[in-house]
Amino acid sequence: MRPETREQFSIAVFALPAALFMVVMMAVPLGSVVWQSLSDETGFSLAAYVKMAQSNLFIRVTRTTLEIALGATLVAFILGYPIAYFLSKQPPRRQTVWLIVILIPFWTSSLVKSFAFVVMLGHAGILNTWLGEFGLGPYKMLFNRIGVMVGMSHFLVPFMVFPILTNLRSQPPELAKAAAIMGAGKFRIFRTVTFPLSLPGVVSGALLVFILALGFFIVPKLLGGRQDVMLSSLVDFYAREVFNFQMSSAIAVVLMATALLAAFLLSKVRGGASILSKEQS
Amino acid sequence: MERRSIWRRANAAFAVAAMIFLLLPSLIVVPMSFSDSELIIFPPKEYSFHLYERYVQEPGWVSATILSFRVALWTTILSICLGVPAAYALVRGQFPGRRMLAMFLLSPIMLPSVVLALAFYIYFVRISLSQGELRLVLAHCVATLPFIIVTAAAGIQTVDANIERAARIMGASRVYVFRTVTLPLVIPSIVAGALFAFLISFDEIIISIFVARAGDETLPIKMYSSLVFEVSPVLAAISTMLTVMSALICILVTFVQKSEAKP
Repeated sequence: MRPETREQFSIAVFALPAALFMVVMMAVPLGSVVWQSLSDETGFSLAAYVKMAQSNLFIRVTRTTLEIALGATLVAFILGYPIAYFLSKQPPRRQTVWLIVILIPFWTSSLVKSFAFVVMLGHAGILNTWLGEFGLGPYKMLFNRIGVMVGMSHFLVPFMVFPILTNLRSQPPELAKAAAIMGAGKFRIFRTVTFPLSLPGVVSGALLVFILALGFFIVPKLLGGRQDVMLSSLVDFYAREVFNFQMSSAIAVVLMATALLAAFLLSKVRGGASILSKEQS
Repeated sequence: MERRSIWRRANAAFAVAAMIFLLLPSLIVVPMSFSDSELIIFPPKEYSFHLYERYVQEPGWVSATILSFRVALWTTILSICLGVPAAYALVRGQFPGRRMLAMFLLSPIMLPSVVLALAFYIYFVRISLSQGELRLVLAHCVATLPFIIVTAAAGIQTVDANIERAARIMGASRVYVFRTVTLPLVIPSIVAGALFAFLISFDEIIISIFVARAGDETLPIKMYSSLVFEVSPVLAAISTMLTVMSALICILVTFVQKSEAKP
C-alpha cells in the first residue's frame, strides 16, 4: 500500500463502527421493509402496490397528506420569513437571545405542545372562553383541520427560520447599502434585492419543512379529526391494528421514496452535504 | 422616510407576534401546573403543588420517567462512542466514498420516523430481540447518531489540522493524536451534541410506540395514552418539567458553544 492510501485507510477506520451499526440497525431493517412490501405467501408479488393504487382509502389519505403538508409549509413560510428577517436585522448579541426564543419551542416535546393546544383550542378551552367574553364563539378548533394546521405549523416554523436566517446573514450588507444610496426605500430594497437573493434559503427551508410535514404522526392523531388521517397513521393502522405488514410496508416505501426524492432535491439546492465543505455559509 | 419605518415596524410587530405564538404552549403549561383544581382552568384560581404531588403518587409516572432517563442515558453514551470518531473520519478523511458515507450516516434525519419505527417493529421480531430496554436504546440511537455527527463535525472543523499533523510527525499514532489532541479541543461540541441526543431520546415517541413492549412504558408513551384516553391535569406538571428541561439544555448549549474557541 502507498503511504497516502494507508493514511486514508487509517482515517476511514474511525467511521467503521458507526457505519456497521447503521448497516445492521438501519439499512437491513429498511431493506426488509422493502422486501416485505414485495412479497406475500407465494413469493414475489406486487399485489400490495396494485391494491394500494386501487384503494380509495389510500388515494384519499394521500390527498389529505399532500394538502396538509403543503398548507403547513405555506403557513410556516408566512410566519417564518418575517421572524428570520427580523432576527437578521438585530445586533449579534440580541440575536442570540431571540434565537433562544425560537430554540425553546423547537426542543420542546411534541406531546407537551399537543397537550397545550388541546387545552387552548378545545370547546371549553382557553381561547373559546376568552372569545366568549366578547360574545363570540365557541368555535370548533380542535379535532379538525384547524387543530392540525396550528399544531403542525407551530412545530415547523423553526425549520423554516434557520435556512432563511443563514441566507440573510450571508448577504453582503453592501448590496442593500448600494441600493439605499441610489435612493431606494427599505421596502423597495427588500422587494428587489434582499428577497430575491434569499430565495435559495426559502426553497431549502420549504423543502425541509415539506419532507418533515409528510411524515407527521402525533399531531394529526392528537389534534386532528377523522378527516385528517395522514399516511403515517395508515402505516400504523395496517401494522399494529390489522397486522397486514405487506400493506403497511408498501405505504412506508412510498413515504420513504417521497422523502428521499425531496432530500435529493434539497441537496441539489444546498450544493451537497454541508458538513463536508468548510466554505458553506 | 415615513414609509420605510412603517415597513420595518410592521414586520417587527408581525415577527414578535409569531414568536409569541411559538412560546405560547410553554407559557401556558407553567401556570396551569400550579393549579389547585382537578379541572383544567386557565388561569388557575388557587395555586398549589397539588399536581406535582399527584405526579409522584399516581402509579406509573415516576417509573416511566426513570425508564426514559435510563434509555436516554444509554442512547447518548452509545451514539457518542459511534458518532464522534465517525465525524472525525468524515471531516479529516479524503478517502473515496466519503460523501456517500456521510449521506448514509445522516439519512435518518430525512426519513419519516414512522418508516424507521415500522422497520424496527418488523426487524426486532425477526431477530427475536425481546429485551425491551435494549430495543429502545438501539432504535433511539439510529435517530440520535446523525445529530452527534453533525455537532461533532462542526467542532472538529474548527480544530487546526496542522496541530494534528505536528503530533503525527513527532511519531504519535493516529488514534493517540485523536485521543490526546483532537478530542480535548472538541469537548464543548460533544457536550452540546450529547445534551441534544439525550433530549431527542427522552422525548422520542413514534419509534418508542412501535418498539416498546407492553410492560415498557416510557414517559412519552404514558403521556400519549393519557392524551388519547383522558386528558389528565397531571400532564400540566409533567409538561412544565419537560419544558424547563428543554429550556435549560438550550441555554446551556448556547453558552457551551460560545465558549468554544473559534479560529
